[in-house]
Amino acid sequence: MKPSPRSLRGLDWFVFFVADVLTGFGPFVAVYLTSQRWTQLDIGLVLTTGTLVALAGQVPAGALVDAAPSKRLAAGCAMVAIGASALALAAWPIFPVVQAAAVLQAAAACVLSPAIAAISLGLVGHAAMGERVGRNARFASLGVGLMAVAMGATGYFISNRAVFFVTAAFVIPALLALAVIREAEIDRDRAHGGINERIDGARPHRRASLGSLMRRRPLVTFAACAMLFQLANAAMLPLVASTVTTRSGQWATIVIAACIIVPQVMVAVVSPWVGRSGQRYGRRPLLLLGFAALPIRAILLAAVTDPYLLVAVQLLDGIAASVFGVMVPLIVADIARGTGRYNLSLGVVGMAGGIGASLSTTLAGYASDLFGTPVAFLGLAAIAAAGLALVWGLMPETRPGQP
Amino acid sequence: MRHDYRTASVAPVVVLAWSMIGFAAANDRDGLFARVAQATETPTQYSAAGGPGARSEAAAIVFDHQDVQSILGRQVLSSAGEDMGRVIDIVVDRTGQVRAAVIDFGGFLGLGNRKVAIDWGALRFAPTGSKSDRITVELTRDQVRAATEYRDGRPLVVLGAADSLSSTQY
Repeated sequence: MKPSPRSLRGLDWFVFFVADVLTGFGPFVAVYLTSQRWTQLDIGLVLTTGTLVALAGQVPAGALVDAAPSKRLAAGCAMVAIGASALALAAWPIFPVVQAAAVLQAAAACVLSPAIAAISLGLVGHAAMGERVGRNARFASLGVGLMAVAMGATGYFISNRAVFFVTAAFVIPALLALAVIREAEIDRDRAHGGINERIDGARPHRRASLGSLMRRRPLVTFAACAMLFQLANAAMLPLVASTVTTRSGQWATIVIAACIIVPQVMVAVVSPWVGRSGQRYGRRPLLLLGFAALPIRAILLAAVTDPYLLVAVQLLDGIAASVFGVMVPLIVADIARGTGRYNLSLGVVGMAGGIGASLSTTLAGYASDLFGTPVAFLGLAAIAAAGLALVWGLMPETRPGQP
Repeated sequence: MRHDYRTASVAPVVVLAWSMIGFAAANDRDGLFARVAQATETPTQYSAAGGPGARSEAAAIVFDHQDVQSILGRQVLSSAGEDMGRVIDIVVDRTGQVRAAVIDFGGFLGLGNRKVAIDWGALRFAPTGSKSDRITVELTRDQVRAATEYRDGRPLVVLGAADSLSSTQY
């Protein structure tokens, strides 16, 4: 059964508004709390708790989405929770409320990304998944880009607090878009990877255990790739932004904004192509392309000082981010096929990536303190190169019908 | 005079300032000392017990809310009106003398901001009684952008206008 255009369009816009809402909870929370007279100690505590919940929550959230009879309902509940935390953050910026909001938001975000992947897989099936996740990545990056502009403008012209009201407001169109998707068109078993269409389309008797998942070599290898990717990638933008602040005084804000938004535009442009190519040529060539963009970008960032060139180098960020954003749900869908544990597997890969990301900023921070920013970039380039080697040497092709 | 070097490793700032206790307050033309001294003349002073000899009772000073302001999270502007960030901390030396305000400078949506210490004497506050509570600093963004980042447990680099630094030792 082919999904209706109405459901597909609903998914487009749901992904778009989810990205809007999640962007609101980025590093901007620290800016907001600072303007609410919070001490740096309390801000650090709240952010760290949020990060830990986001890490620890991935696997349980994946299991929850696998078990949920309706992925749509799970996504809807997560959206409501995030809207509530945005409102709470804006309305009562006091410690217990903000701490609870940060935890709630992090937990709900853990549910959202597997839920979106599950709805996609349930709607379109494995054969059309490449194209679908390409489209998802496009709408997500459009959402992030638009929200970055909206947040910048709201914060500048109205107030930092208003940003969180805007964030909460985006929950309403997100829920409307979710309601447009027809529940009946989401194949429940397929949504958590229960059907192995490659073999016979039979439904499995029982779901694979976490232990048996962790013994699947492609999943473990891919989780390691995700960790190395984030270990190399996550610190780059903050490091770029902080160098830009020291170099270009008056224009720093504009240059940093461009360094954030330009890659998002790039992701929006290339993602559908990445998804289609993943179906046509296989996952490996694209994964190699994405991982190759990373060390090149890091080396260029170590060398380039001109702000225009810097923004141009950020186009490579768009390529790497697009490949990673498309390939994670796609490759995990390949690997988890027939296990009934698609979302749990996504959680495993997500947690590996999250660990890499949180170590990345810490490591790069130390390196740039001790040896200077260029050395920190070269260190990140070395990690990225290790990731590239891992993909080259150990990561198998997972496209169905490949040996 | 003997310094405690174990403490010095934790708070080198304090030791830097240690040697100049003498003229720290004297040199503080319009810093905190001057403000407090000026302010205490006008407001009502009272003691809860009423008697001057009641040593166990706390004394309280009442300021008009327009004469004082809290400082944490307050926005700082350059004299040209550029946004210089928000005050996130205050640094004092061992005498309790305020040396610098730590400002969260620059960035976009929380990316690229740096913590920079600015000499307390370089900050200008709106005159007493005025409704505005803006803080300005006699520095431009271009002067602040390359400043050494403020970190706990590292030597403090305080940025000031050329004539406002209270000591060349910084």
